[in-house]
Amino acid sequence: MISLRRKKSILAAVAVTSFALVASAVPANAEVGVSSTEIKLGTTVPMTGIAAPGYSKVAPAMKAYFEYINDNGGVYGRKINLVIKDDRYIPQEAINKTNELILKDKVFALVGQLGTANHLAVTSKVRIASRNIPSLFLNTGYSGFADVKKFRTSFMHFPTYVAEAKILSSYIKENFTGKKTCLLVQNDEFGADAEKGFATAGLTFDETVKYVSGTQSATTAQTWITRFAGAKCEVVVLFSVSSATAAALGVASAAGYKPQWILGSVGADSTTLKIALNNPQAQALLNGAIGVSFMPDALDTTDEYVKLFREVNTKYSPGVDFDTNVLVGMNAAMLTVQALRAAGQNPTRRSLITAMERKGSTFASAAYGNLAVSRTSRAGFTGYWFGKFNLAGALIPLDAGRTVYTTDSATGPVTKASAKRAALPAKGIPTNS
Amino acid sequence: MHKLSTKKAFVAYFLFGWLLLIVADRVDELRVYQGATIAVTTLAIASIILLTGYSGQVSLGQGAFLAVGAYAAALSQTFWQSPFWFTLLIAILVSAAFGFILAFAAGRMSGPYLAGTTLALAVGLPTLANQFSFLGGETGLVYDAGLPPERFGEEFTLYKWFFWIAAFVVLIAMFLLRNLLNSRFGRTWKALRANSTAASLCGVNVAQSKITAFTISAGVAGLAGALLGMVSIVAPSAFPLSLSFTIITGAILAGVTSLLGSMLGAVILVVIPEIADVIAHQLGDSEKITTNLPGFIVSVLLILTVLFSPNGPAEAMRKRKEQHAKH
Repeated sequence: MISLRRKKSILAAVAVTSFALVASAVPANAEVGVSSTEIKLGTTVPMTGIAAPGYSKVAPAMKAYFEYINDNGGVYGRKINLVIKDDRYIPQEAINKTNELILKDKVFALVGQLGTANHLAVTSKVRIASRNIPSLFLNTGYSGFADVKKFRTSFMHFPTYVAEAKILSSYIKENFTGKKTCLLVQNDEFGADAEKGFATAGLTFDETVKYVSGTQSATTAQTWITRFAGAKCEVVVLFSVSSATAAALGVASAAGYKPQWILGSVGADSTTLKIALNNPQAQALLNGAIGVSFMPDALDTTDEYVKLFREVNTKYSPGVDFDTNVLVGMNAAMLTVQALRAAGQNPTRRSLITAMERKGSTFASAAYGNLAVSRTSRAGFTGYWFGKFNLAGALIPLDAGRTVYTTDSATGPVTKASAKRAALPAKGIPTNS
Repeated sequence: MHKLSTKKAFVAYFLFGWLLLIVADRVDELRVYQGATIAVTTLAIASIILLTGYSGQVSLGQGAFLAVGAYAAALSQTFWQSPFWFTLLIAILVSAAFGFILAFAAGRMSGPYLAGTTLALAVGLPTLANQFSFLGGETGLVYDAGLPPERFGEEFTLYKWFFWIAAFVVLIAMFLLRNLLNSRFGRTWKALRANSTAASLCGVNVAQSKITAFTISAGVAGLAGALLGMVSIVAPSAFPLSLSFTIITGAILAGVTSLLGSMLGAVILVVIPEIADVIAHQLGDSEKITTNLPGFIVSVLLILTVLFSPNGPAEAMRKRKEQHAKH
């Protein structure tokens, strides 16, 4: 008679073998994620969790623009299918979900992921570079991602945080010399990058508060504001994510603390502020704050890119408020379509990377200036313009010419130039090759 | 019940390992990755089975010991450039030492007090990484098993390499644990769990036995943590509180007294997200459903197991078999 232990061993062996046989049916394909009718792309973003307010709109905005392109012929006849996974802004989840996208959904490329720590985790553990998997238009400004040797297949969308901090420093030194200046930063590479930029520009702070990503809330913001008020800060730079910026502004307003706010581009969004504070009038908290942006303001309906993206948003994402997050998502999607077209009629991962290197800097987009991508750099945009938020939460340029400040992520100077960019492709549908 | 001799058990483990290698060659990369995850989870659950199922001590914070092991291994690799295999040994020793100190301090506690102490540890320990820069903050530390040997060829993927390492280490650890639990130590712990007063009257040093069990369990968990760090990352987000609960859930689903059942528990935990994915797809691919459904399914299974088979399906099967034999 077979013993129970032996029976269990046999059962386990049978289960494992069956599991193997069922799983082994893998279809062969010329290029992963590309068929005659479809190009499958993937992204991981915070759809739920603490960073979801605002950021959860980026990927659906990309999807909406891709649907617009699909309804207008797709990319050389292929429809773009974007698979969205929720990483909850947690590095471990980003690894799990990216693995799902690559191993299970078998996407052609990754596009528009959010978060410095998340992408660092993904590149180190999923090893997308050694597996030749492209990751286009990262929505993070960590300067390390521009390093082509370390991140060969990753391409940035945002200007680097180092460059942004250097540009903010030049403005603060020009306009607020002698005032007590303080800083709120995230306690990771995002914040370290910003601090590097401020230090490079020679700007020191009277008080620096660091928060751990994921801990931002009204309760923790009480501590930050107490420290800023205690140090009598007259100018406070909030170089933080949207949910942290919202918490800081909300608590400061309730406490009657009114320094001159200077907001980093990542966290300054009026719609997110309203959601995070659960107050439909919360955009008024931004009134008078100085901000920077590398793209037009989402409320600027005179801008041709904003106008087109708003129309797409209305048709393909009915009911979704158009804001900076939607603008960022659609801009990344428009750049992606150009990259896919530049990769040729039968794109491969290799041809996509080559196309980004050779033609990326010529792609049309809502941003002022061109992508700084090349064979030797994976950098995104490089310029910012300054504005002041009004009561409606719109960022109004400080000067009529919308001067764009540009710099690098090293020790190069900050230079000024007038704003210019490529014209919007007809109907917002790229036709490049 | 008839038990395999050590020699026969070694042959069985060897053959099972061989079967796993053959299977890993036939399945796609996703299944190999899941296989590595199952191996790591199996070992983590085994550490709970040793602690709770045998010695009767409850730990709600086993994730903390995994974190200690992972960080110890990563730090030894980062600062001393230790070879990978040596880092696994470091992970076992450091987490066992950590477990020993905790067991010594918590020696007077039992039941909910010990559970509460370990729970607090699981909540607090990973956040230390954000307080000390050498622990790498939220991004964590790089911990690498290295690339597979070139002689395995270009087709030999990184995840297959992870699976080989994880399966090899876990099979050895499980074989050693099996022998340990069948030895004098295992019998002593069982006696403790059944009735510590009676065990004491029979000459068992209760405090010392409990400390030994806690220390070995922490060492096993530390080894699982290092392997988890190899497959994923060594960062606070890899060791959330939910990890501790997941490991306990796996142990309960498998039956806390069955070492072999730990593999069943691990398979269940890895398969549930797959099932949730299919259900979420049927319900319209809502990300909120996909994110929350695995936790919901695990919770329901846990409640059902506690209600209908509190000692787990393996134990229920054994009892049925015994009843059947009596008739």
